[in-house]
Amino acid sequence: MADLLALSVFGVDWQFLKPFIVIGLAFGGVYALSGVGLVVLYRATGVLNLAFGAIGAAGALIAYYLINHTSCPQWLAFTVCVLFGGVLNLAYGVIFGPAFARRDPLVKMMGTLALALILLGVMGWRAPAGGAFARFLPLPSSEHHYFIAGTSVNLTQIISIAVALVLTAGVTIFLRLTRLGTAMRALANDREISATLGVPVRRVEAVAWFGSGLACGAAGLLLPDLLTSLDYAALTFLVIASLAAALIGRLRSLWATFFGGMAVGLAQAVLTPYASLSAYRQAAPFVLAIIALLVLSRHRVVTISRTAN
Amino acid sequence: MTFRRALTVGGVAALMASAIAVTGAGAGPDATPPGKGKSMALGVCGLGTGKKATGAPIKLAGLDMLIPGVDFTTIGKVAAAYFACVNDNGGIHGRPISYKLYTEALDPNQEKALARKMIEGDKVVGVVGNTSFAECGTNWKYYKSKGFIVIGAGVQAECYSTPSYAMVNSGPRYSNVGAAQALIKAGAKKLAIASPDTISAYADGGPALVAKKAGIPVKIYPTHLPVTDATSQLIQMYQFVGDGGAILIDFTPDTAPAFMKAAEQQGIVDKVLWGSSTPIANTLMSSQFSPAFDGRLWIDNEFSNVDPKVGPDSALMFAILKKYSPKIAPQAFAQMGFLAGKFATNALLSIKGPVTAKTYNAAVRKLKNQKSDMLCKPFYVGALPFHIPNNTNIIVDYKNGNVVVKKGCTAFQAVDKAIAQTRAFEKKFKLNTGK
Repeated sequence: MADLLALSVFGVDWQFLKPFIVIGLAFGGVYALSGVGLVVLYRATGVLNLAFGAIGAAGALIAYYLINHTSCPQWLAFTVCVLFGGVLNLAYGVIFGPAFARRDPLVKMMGTLALALILLGVMGWRAPAGGAFARFLPLPSSEHHYFIAGTSVNLTQIISIAVALVLTAGVTIFLRLTRLGTAMRALANDREISATLGVPVRRVEAVAWFGSGLACGAAGLLLPDLLTSLDYAALTFLVIASLAAALIGRLRSLWATFFGGMAVGLAQAVLTPYASLSAYRQAAPFVLAIIALLVLSRHRVVTISRTAN
Repeated sequence: MTFRRALTVGGVAALMASAIAVTGAGAGPDATPPGKGKSMALGVCGLGTGKKATGAPIKLAGLDMLIPGVDFTTIGKVAAAYFACVNDNGGIHGRPISYKLYTEALDPNQEKALARKMIEGDKVVGVVGNTSFAECGTNWKYYKSKGFIVIGAGVQAECYSTPSYAMVNSGPRYSNVGAAQALIKAGAKKLAIASPDTISAYADGGPALVAKKAGIPVKIYPTHLPVTDATSQLIQMYQFVGDGGAILIDFTPDTAPAFMKAAEQQGIVDKVLWGSSTPIANTLMSSQFSPAFDGRLWIDNEFSNVDPKVGPDSALMFAILKKYSPKIAPQAFAQMGFLAGKFATNALLSIKGPVTAKTYNAAVRKLKNQKSDMLCKPFYVGALPFHIPNNTNIIVDYKNGNVVVKKGCTAFQAVDKAIAQTRAFEKKFKLNTGK
């Protein structure tokens, strides 16, 4: 045991590394949660939602406003934050989903980018950053600390990991065992045939939009506490790490997405104490996503055809 | 109604409700109300006649940086509020001041272009209230070539080492020096310092010299803004200094709270000594981090405590903010804007004859012994090769939600040759003797 405590990982004492592992797993939980939401939506609708972070950030700002400028109880503000994600996502899907349904995935994705930019603009307008003050959205859970394996862990960090784990397992079971889940999987395989066979496409899509929006709202609620500030720009760009997680899962596998999110969070945090790598840790999502894509596509057959003029 | 139509109607309603909800989220914190207790005689803005100025406007302008994580526009906005008060009180011998504030995004090309726009395009007589991470370095030669001297608040080296600027503040380097000095005196055995990476070499270099001189291990942590993981960085700093060490944070109130909140979450507030440069010395911050940080902070404050009871200028600043800029909370950046506005006004009022760029900048150079209850020693400019008029600061702490003085006016260590030279200039030319 004493040997283990004295263990040095590439020059950094294991004891020093432990808090970063905890932070990394907590962030990883949020990335996994968002990544799973992205994958579920993509599988059901073919839309890669780039507005995921912005929707979560807007929900968090609304919760901040309710808590600090009204007499709204905290639990209600937090519920509004999560529901806001679901409702706004659903609204976007209902209004723009049918219009984009037959367009290619890139166009669908650009539509969500527009939503992200609009939300960023509205947040910048109504809740400008700066002004020499900072916003917080602390969760009561962060006041509860536990010592696990000799390092301090707070309840928010545990919740982040647990929510991601439960959501991934729950969605996996839902997709396998329920009628709606089967319909979603059918849509993911072939939208046209599923519609022909009587799958209620719009209804299934609406559930996917709403469900993934709830995940996005939950991420918007957890992340400001982990970041110790409510910075809507930082929250908006949460989508980058989540996208990396979803790409690691090849936009198909929920469990691969979960582990991808965890890996991204861990890599970002664990690189912090390594002076020579610390400056590059924000690049971790891209690096991991690229590695995953290269590894996963190494056995793919590439077909090149030439058309005679 | 079909399911699809119901969803569409519901969706539109939800989108509209969402937009309204987001729109409602805008409010920031309320400006801290003026202090309670005994009232302090108000200072006056300019001539203090109570009559609106109506003549031809005198043009001034300023340039402040605004980037994610740092908002320096408060300084220019408060200078503007001061000038509005001057205009309501007789102006400059009947003429109002027209002040235009430009913002830049830490972009040298933008900084260059805006300096030229102010002087050659807008044809201002003076540049007042500038604050930026980089503008001094970009524009000092240009201002010098045009004979301009800027009264503002400085950050980088060129603000304190060239003839083009006379800053009302000490800047982060010297404020950090004051804080490091105090932390070492309080018994810190190791020192970790964090500043924004763009100014870290200059801002952290001063306190590092103080620590080295005292034989204390020191490590600098340049921080990229906006901060995305304050907790990880803070743990790194804590792991370096250990229990009983000192952590010095040099951030504005947009960013510092993330570190302080992380310290609370990690349970290390009581394990180290905390130092900071000036920007967090205000009640908006102390109300958030008291009592957790009470007695644990050594904040070097370049100005007097932000309290209307300190003196007539402090009381006037609170009154001006309340009337002309109610969204801005009283804080160090407000003091900087107030003082820049006040000294520029004093220079304008001292001009006999036409107010031109030449006469205004000459009047600025003649400023000396400019007293204010916000400063330990009077402000001055003088025809010097560089200006560091604010070189005596106080140390403050948080207590029961307020900011309290821990140590009165103390000259910070002359870590640079320029500080010793400055103090020699002051003596030789009687620049701040108060006479």
